[in-house]
Amino acid sequence: MNTVNIVLCGLGGQGILFMTKILAEYALKKGIPVLGAETHGMAQRGGSVVSHLRLGEARSSLVPAGKAGFLIALDPWEAYRGLSFLAEGALLCVNSPDGDFPNDAVKTYMTTHGVKCFTADAGKIAGRMGTPLSTNLALLGFFSSLPDISPFSHEGLGETIGLVSPDRFREVNLKVFEAGFEEGKRL
Amino acid sequence: MMKEEIFLGNGAIALGLLEAGCQLITSYPGTPSSEILPEIIRLKKLQGLNTYVEWSTNEKVALDNAFAAAITGKRACCCMKQVGLNVAADSLMSAAYLGTKGGFVIISADDPGPHSSQTEQDTRFMARIAKVPVLDPSDPGEAREMAKLAFEISEKFGIPVILRPAIRVCHARQSLKWGELKNNEAKALFEKNPQRWAATPRFRLILHRELNQKLRDIATLFEELSSVNFHDMKEGSQYPLGIICGGVPYAVVRDILSEERRDDIPVLKLGAPYPFPGALADQFMERCRKVLVLEETDTLIEYLLGNRVKVMGRLSGHVPQEGELVPEAIAKTINRALQECGTKPLDVPDTGDVGGLLKDISLPVRKPTLCPGCPHRASFFSIRKGRAKAIFTSDIGCYTLGLNLGSVDTCLDMGAAITMASGFYHAYKQDGVKQPIVATIGDSTFFHSGTAGLLNAVYNGARFVLVILDNQITAMTGMQPTPGLGIKADGSKGVAIPLERVVKGCGIEFLEVVDPYDLKAMSQALKRASAHTFDPAGGIAVVIARHPCVIAYRKKSIPNPVKPLVTDDCVSCGFCMERFECPALFRDEKVGHTMINEVLCSGCAVCVGVCPKGAIVIAGEDK
Repeated sequence: MNTVNIVLCGLGGQGILFMTKILAEYALKKGIPVLGAETHGMAQRGGSVVSHLRLGEARSSLVPAGKAGFLIALDPWEAYRGLSFLAEGALLCVNSPDGDFPNDAVKTYMTTHGVKCFTADAGKIAGRMGTPLSTNLALLGFFSSLPDISPFSHEGLGETIGLVSPDRFREVNLKVFEAGFEEGKRL
Repeated sequence: MMKEEIFLGNGAIALGLLEAGCQLITSYPGTPSSEILPEIIRLKKLQGLNTYVEWSTNEKVALDNAFAAAITGKRACCCMKQVGLNVAADSLMSAAYLGTKGGFVIISADDPGPHSSQTEQDTRFMARIAKVPVLDPSDPGEAREMAKLAFEISEKFGIPVILRPAIRVCHARQSLKWGELKNNEAKALFEKNPQRWAATPRFRLILHRELNQKLRDIATLFEELSSVNFHDMKEGSQYPLGIICGGVPYAVVRDILSEERRDDIPVLKLGAPYPFPGALADQFMERCRKVLVLEETDTLIEYLLGNRVKVMGRLSGHVPQEGELVPEAIAKTINRALQECGTKPLDVPDTGDVGGLLKDISLPVRKPTLCPGCPHRASFFSIRKGRAKAIFTSDIGCYTLGLNLGSVDTCLDMGAAITMASGFYHAYKQDGVKQPIVATIGDSTFFHSGTAGLLNAVYNGARFVLVILDNQITAMTGMQPTPGLGIKADGSKGVAIPLERVVKGCGIEFLEVVDPYDLKAMSQALKRASAHTFDPAGGIAVVIARHPCVIAYRKKSIPNPVKPLVTDDCVSCGFCMERFECPALFRDEKVGHTMINEVLCSGCAVCVGVCPKGAIVIAGEDK
């Protein structure tokens, strides 16, 4: 299998590390070698947080520019910042509360490079379920509804969330994840 | 039974240490090394090991403790970040001469970038200065193996060994298989030998001679140690360009060359670069017209290579001299080298046009900031208020971010809030100027290296206000306990050492303890403290601003969260955003004034006392 490169980005405190953990544990269960890179320390305090995940045969933990097959962004500005990671034909999944991502220039750029872009107001979905802090899971649910997300699948990711969630959050995490999925299916 | 698990790089190191039978592990937290000890504790509890662990008060203390255990014949390790090794340098240099009986491994994690450090210094140079071997892993799996190798080398040659993982090893995640861990049953047996363990300068000369012999022997080993020092040249071939690398850059180079199927570029990996395997490097260089050296963070290998004429690296301007060698930078550097050698370039994606796209979008600047509800923010607000002319010396920790509130002017190193405050005092005093000075230091940093500076300042008659920001945790590095709390690394009960007693013991007469959430009480305490520093009969004044960290102790920090609102009395002066800088405060263009983001707001309500117009109120309460 070719290496699957995923970049997840957003702001400190949005739960990027937990999202990364779900994707990584999912791959581990499927027997795919996992390598990733995280942000800790000073950079975590409210700054831009980028998480790299490489599934398959990779030696270095960072996804090189132009090599990410998936970019999942919890914040539209961070999605702009992460554009240089996108490979030709990549899939971009963005939490866009105002629905104005991307701008026209970026739209043209993505068309040229065959990038497929999907946006949702994940914060609103999570808010509707009474847990505005679970925006990460709503966006992951939305991602799981998208076409061509191999090696990921909706069922598999849901199962993994069940496994890695702490007991007291399991039910609500799955509820928000499903709500994100339903939102995606409606589109 | 073997199982597979995704380990943080620091967890992989912890696993390697325990697999090697390390019996005693000490550490002081610092990014990117902080998770090694907690991972040791997790694995130790999981497998019922009797490993001794401690958060030491600082890195020198950590090194000395582990050294003593190692010379009883046990396997011991101390972990720290690269600037922590500076603190422990005195111990390191001497320990290299004395040598060891049991395996003694020093882990010093480097931070190219830098992401969370004052410097980008290269631990491999510290190894060179101290004359001890150093291992430089490329990924978590190799770091785990090198932890074991480090103990073997240390015991075989009787010498401390440094393992230097960089941040992309420490904070990488990798799936690894692992199985049962066992206690090492080696018993402590210190054999008295004062000529060695308490060597005077005459014997130190002999020990130096022995150390140099050890290094020559280890260099011979490193020439042949093909598990970590190896190349992939084909028999008899000559090459226009070869690459010499180690650590994280090796992993990146390997990925690039295998993806691009470039087996025409040979790679020499030096995972054990010091003592330098010079013959191996010479053989490699002989068969290349040019060699490109890719190493982090500085130029250790480059300095040690024999024929510098062939070398492209930092000294020749081919490799960036600062910052992390991210994959893009490495690809670009290799391409430039290939071009100069007249060889086919790499086919790497060109993402240059993204830069042009983003030029028209004004991306928000994301500077790190204190968390909503952080008690330091309340302290800094009060400190800054009415003391605009003061010099604000500060220190290493979350509270360095007080610079966003205009309450931090300096940050040199651990403990320098106090030592620089006394230095400033004497510099101004000499000119007859009464310069107000307010120093801020965290509780953990105060225990780490505050007391020596405070003793010195009291003894030499300096005058300043010292605010100890006591949030009862080492927050920035991921919530490690402090001596003030009396909880040990593994969660068991230790002996609590109240800050008050330490401060009084340093000879301080003026000491007040106050909750910084109470802005009025904090302001008044600071006023009295300031007066004491200018009183002819006064001296240094210490205020302990005590309130639990809002992340570590959410419930204790804010037992009754409230919902503050901004009323139409808000005149959009921006005072709260500039001086209080809470991430929950924002200017809402739709409403036309400042508002509070409910998702981010912690409900601490300190901002109510900040607004000069009284426009921030608590919902349901009268103004």
